[in-house]
Parts: sequence; structure tokens; C-alpha cells
Amino acid sequence: MTGTTDNSEVRTDGGETGIVPPDDETPSWSERKERKQGLARTTYEYFERSRREDQDLRQQSDYIERDVLGFPTWPHEMIRNLALTSFFVGMIIFLAATLPPHIGAPANSGVTPPIILPDWYLYWSFGLLKLGPLNPDLALLGGQKLMADRTFGVLANLVVVGAIAIVPFLNKGSARRPVEQPFWASVGVFGVILSVTLAALSVKNLLPIDAHLTFDLTFLLPFVGAFITYAVLKSMREGYMFELNRRYYRLRPPK
Amino acid sequence: MADEFMKGFAIFVTASLGWLVVAGWYKTPAFEGPQLLGTYPESPDVFSQIAIIAGEGMFYFAIFGTLAFWVLVPAINEAREAYAERK
Repeated sequence: MTGTTDNSEVRTDGGETGIVPPDDETPSWSERKERKQGLARTTYEYFERSRREDQDLRQQSDYIERDVLGFPTWPHEMIRNLALTSFFVGMIIFLAATLPPHIGAPANSGVTPPIILPDWYLYWSFGLLKLGPLNPDLALLGGQKLMADRTFGVLANLVVVGAIAIVPFLNKGSARRPVEQPFWASVGVFGVILSVTLAALSVKNLLPIDAHLTFDLTFLLPFVGAFITYAVLKSMREGYMFELNRRYYRLRPPK
Repeated sequence: MADEFMKGFAIFVTASLGWLVVAGWYKTPAFEGPQLLGTYPESPDVFSQIAIIAGEGMFYFAIFGTLAFWVLVPAINEAREAYAERK
């Protein structure tokens, strides 16, 4: 294979000890230390021998080999978790003692509040109900709208929730880092910023920004963020470390 | 470098927490309205004066202490290395 022609000795693959010298020919430590030439070769032989001994031990024993990527639960992880838990519990006690929360007047169920809003994590859905300006006036209908603005808002909710609901059924591929899939990473950033700007749109009356500007920024900022993300990730791919790390990225089971 | 970052970050979060508490005590006249950025009480007593001074000190310590470890110390180290290479 290497082009040497005088290698008449026929050898099988893997059956022999290969580079590993037999036990009776293994140099002692003092012999090894006396060697001044071929240190790289000696090192290679040493590691190959230790690897082979390790392999033999594994094959002889009934120990089930597993990749253990972690520390024992006790004491390592428990001590760490206790430290983290103590910190956060202490922080909660400290903040509760120094800055006790304001307790407002009880709600009056007989009066409709002046501002009606859902919980903050549903602001984006509430903002989708305020997309009336996007509801097109169709020329075919004589400038009339195909559906009412409120119907349009509910439909927008269905579209967004439907898109999110599809995600678990998509093949996500084997990429684990945004730099591997700049396009989909920028799509994700688009969605995150859109959820934030839609939440801002839902409370546009309370924002110190012009309502029309808020509406425009709601759909402009996600594109800006997505373009910046795509550019940054694409430029990161040009670097040396990405090419180096890609070999590591590929060390994973097939999808 | 990472150590300098962590030192600056620790100063930032710790001093900011101290400022937050003092500002919550003395610069938040009511829940409705300006929080943490309101005005100090008219005539604070001695303990309040001490707390207000400590809060102001922690505010500026959070800014300048962080800047010192994130900007000043690395800049001095870089300059020292550059000076040593020139010699």
C-alpha cells in the first residue's frame, strides 16, 4: 500500500500485536531513558502499548463500557447544587427583606378597569389583534375589506401559533450551534424580536413612542435583527476556528 | 483577561445591588410614579444621610470600578507589554 516492494512477509489485519512489542522485548524504563534517538517513535509505541493493554482489559472483563460524561452526584454535584441553591435562596431572602413588594388595594370586581390587558406573556398575542392597518382593502370588493379587523387579528394568531406548532414536527437537522445554520438562526432571532415588538405594539397607548412609529418598528426591527444575525454568523464562518470546530461538530451520532 | 472580566462583573453586580436597595428605600416615594430615580427625602436623619451617601458611592463605584477592570487594567497591561517589546 505504501509502495514498498520488499515486504514479502504476509500479515493479517489486526491479528498481530502490530507496533506493540511483545512483553519480553519491551524496553525497561532505564532502557527507554537511555535512548536519545527516536523519541517520537518511543512515545508512539508507549501510548500504543497502553492503549492496547487498556483494550485487552476491557475485552477480558465483563465491565460494560460506557461514556461517563460527568461527576458523581455525591459529593461533587450536590455540593455545587447546594452552593447555587444557597445563593439564590439568600438572594430571595435579601430582596424580600430589603425591598418588600408593594401590595396594592384589592381589586374591585364591580368596576371595569380603565386598561384591560392580558398577562405580560400574552402581550404578543394581544398585539396580533391590533394588525388592522395590515388588513387589505380589496379593489375587487370595491375597496371593502374581506374580513373584519378583529377576524384578521384572530387569523394572524392562528397563523403564528400554527407556525410554532409545526416546529416539533420538522427535522431540525444535526446543527447544534447558530453558526452552523445562519439562515435558520436569523429566522429564530426574527421570531424572538417580533414577539417583543408585538408585545410593545399591544401596549402602544402606554408607550412614550408615536403609535404609527411603533407599528412600523414592529415589523422593521425583526428584519433588522435577522439581517444583523445572518451577517454576523456568516462572517463568523469565515474564521479559522469555525473550520477547526466543524470537525468537532461532526462528531455526533447521525440524526 | 477572564479574571479581569470577572472582577469587574462582580463589582458591577454587587455595587448595583447595594445601590438598588438604597434607591428603593430613599428614591422611591411611592409605588405609582418614579421608582429608584425619584427625589431624596427633604430632611433625612443621620442614618438616612449615611445610607444615601453610601448609595451614591456604590452607584459610582459600580460604574468606575467596572470600567477600571474592563478598560483601564487591560489597557495598562497592553501598554506595558508594548513597552517591553519596544525595549
